[in-house]
Amino acid sequence: MTVTTEAPVRQKAPAPAPKRRTVWRRMRDDWWIYLFLLPTVVGYGLYTVYPLVASWWYAFLDWPGFADVGTFIGFANFELLWADDLFWNSFRNSLVFLAIAVPLRVGLALLLAIVLNRRSTPFRGLFRTLLFLPVVTTGAIVGVVFTLILDAGGPVNLALVKSALVDSPVDFLGSSGMSLYSVIGVWVWKWLGITLIYWLAALQTIPNELYEAARIDGAGNWKEFRYVTLPLLLPFLVVITLIDMVGALNVFDLVMTLTGGGPAFSSEVVEVYIYRTAFGATVPQLGYASAAAVLFGLLTMALAIAQALGIRAARRAMA
Amino acid sequence: MSTSTTPRPSRRQLLRTAGGLAIGLPLLNACTGGGQSAQNAGADPTDASGPITVNWWDHFRPLTELFEKKLFVEYHGKHDNVTVKRRQLDPADLGQALQLARRSKQLPDVHSTAGLSGSVAALVTNGWFHPIGDFVDLGNSPMKDYLYDGIHRFDGKVYTFPVFSGRWHDSTTWVNSALAKQASLDPEQSPATWDEYRATVRTLDQKTPDSVHGLLLPMKDTDYLGGKLTAFAQMAGAPGQTDWKTGEIAVASEPFIQAMEFLLALKADGVLHPASSSLGPRDARARWAAGEAALFPWGPWFIGGLMVEESPAVKRGISAWQIPAPSTQRGTVYVAPAPGSFFVSDQAKNPKVAADVLFQMTTADFAAQLATRMDQPPILLDSVDKADVHPAYKKNVSFFQQDVRIGPVPEVRNGGVAKALAEMRDVHPSPGEIVQAVLTGSTKDYKAALQQYADKATKERKRAIDAAKKKGAEVSEDDWVFGNWQPGQDYTQASYK
Repeated sequence: MTVTTEAPVRQKAPAPAPKRRTVWRRMRDDWWIYLFLLPTVVGYGLYTVYPLVASWWYAFLDWPGFADVGTFIGFANFELLWADDLFWNSFRNSLVFLAIAVPLRVGLALLLAIVLNRRSTPFRGLFRTLLFLPVVTTGAIVGVVFTLILDAGGPVNLALVKSALVDSPVDFLGSSGMSLYSVIGVWVWKWLGITLIYWLAALQTIPNELYEAARIDGAGNWKEFRYVTLPLLLPFLVVITLIDMVGALNVFDLVMTLTGGGPAFSSEVVEVYIYRTAFGATVPQLGYASAAAVLFGLLTMALAIAQALGIRAARRAMA
Repeated sequence: MSTSTTPRPSRRQLLRTAGGLAIGLPLLNACTGGGQSAQNAGADPTDASGPITVNWWDHFRPLTELFEKKLFVEYHGKHDNVTVKRRQLDPADLGQALQLARRSKQLPDVHSTAGLSGSVAALVTNGWFHPIGDFVDLGNSPMKDYLYDGIHRFDGKVYTFPVFSGRWHDSTTWVNSALAKQASLDPEQSPATWDEYRATVRTLDQKTPDSVHGLLLPMKDTDYLGGKLTAFAQMAGAPGQTDWKTGEIAVASEPFIQAMEFLLALKADGVLHPASSSLGPRDARARWAAGEAALFPWGPWFIGGLMVEESPAVKRGISAWQIPAPSTQRGTVYVAPAPGSFFVSDQAKNPKVAADVLFQMTTADFAAQLATRMDQPPILLDSVDKADVHPAYKKNVSFFQQDVRIGPVPEVRNGGVAKALAEMRDVHPSPGEIVQAVLTGSTKDYKAALQQYADKATKERKRAIDAAKKKGAEVSEDDWVFGNWQPGQDYTQASYK
């Protein structure tokens, strides 16, 4: 027989409610956390917050680039901008870019990811690497190379003409009807690899048991995709689309090297418009360019809010 | 355990010492010539002891060797404490870099103003430059006849001087002589009229291999296209984008319409390199050098640029054709007097030394060396005759002497004009943008587009004049009228009086 002597259990007194520490106290006690955060806070403040706030202020100035300082002119820049056809042209081009390029990149990458996620696909690793290579290539270099590839005497046109698909070379970059779409095509090609990686990561979160269960229930490839893969990928779709949308608004390097925004402003997106106004004008207009950036920011924010509200409404309707 | 025996200064002593140093150092600095108070034009600018570095930014790629291996080295040989550090940038990058550098107080001591396409007067007004007239004696240099108020001299102070001649245009047709011979044409024979030019380009297109095209006309750069339109319109009789007799904006006048029709005719002839629409001039030069086209219209720096990057194209054979006119009665290309090429920045640490380095470019010897680089012709044009240059370069300069005349410049007569120009916003689509739209098929009604530009530009000029007047400038639309301007003649310094 074993006798166990246990210490008598003491009734614990209820712990006193922890004192709420002041911010100053927290900073003093956990100073090392803030020390580690400092480089990020300083960097973010200097290179993101400050330029953002400064551009808001500049938008209210008449500031020729040659002058050291600008003069406060209230909303005059915004009034001019509102009546500027070229601003709205570039705004429209940016939206067209967004509307075509993002679904194309997201959709195409998803299809490729599904194919490359299958164990039966040969050379999966090679294809993934090949598709990712353009992502790590500098945008401006891609632009320069593609001016040669899409040239009238370049390999694309050579293939089109030789295969009798067209009678004469297609002017991909020099025609106002084609230039924006050509840039979209190059952008999708360049960034497809990174979206592919996102999708592959997302696909690998789906447990195999679900597919096995679906197969036991008699589901074919399509039904597997429709009723297993797609519903489980939806949360990722929102995030991936958002990331790609942000990317589609940062296309300055490609547009400048491929078309310079032309011909006749046909591929001029808002970033190029801002650059042209700030640095390319006879008298650079820094205040006006900042106003364009601010207005574009506000308008895209409004669109993003509208999109978020739309998604929420759609989800409620589906529930 | 060790104890330091060195007495430690008290906090008060430390503060007192630091304060004393803070006040004393600038004073000491002023006494030793670190400030500008010790400067005077007579003394050797490099007398100051210690190494001096002159930072220099420009966009003249063909002049790299001349500057870095000759001018700066020779200067260093004479003043071994002075080193010039040069950075060469593309024109657009330079303009952007200068704007950013100015705001962050990192401007070089000397720079060119490419990419800052606004009026130099606006830059002077905003304090960009240091006057150099007090440091160097330009009045006794060969430059003295080329200095204009409102271009080089402002409020009696000289800020710059021309290194290059203003007597040039960028519409000389450069010919691949080998291809011309292959098409049984004399590469030295310029087609005089537009019709002859078209016929010659067609011949070149047809009588050369299929991979070779008649003409390269790069359309990506709208400034380039605007230059072509204006030069051809001037050959058809236009005074320029402004009619100096009336002061009106003349972009929608008949010569401009004719010039546009000429460009369209070249396109309709099917002789243009098919990649023209997506190329800029520098890309086009590389294609021309590769033998993809027989002809390419560009500026006098063409051979100089080729020598740096594509010299086999020069050795293969190159010739220059005079700009063609609509008929045998030739018009004239009008240009402004040669602008200043380099400026001493107001942020220059040693403006006197910087000015002295610049001053080395005022000699006839430097002009001769400049000519050999075959960039823009030197201001002392006679030196081209004596210089060892390609015959096509020499021939092109002689074409300029026949075809190019100096036109009036409103801000030379009235400095207030510069203030109106600084208020002026660009009008779009500009003539170059209209040419691009027409040649790439975006617009067909070029007459309406040109008229619209003329109307908008006139309105914008009026607005800018009013804005400048509100700020105290004395300027009016009459400042753009030059009643004594005579077509076909130089508008000289005396003409302004």
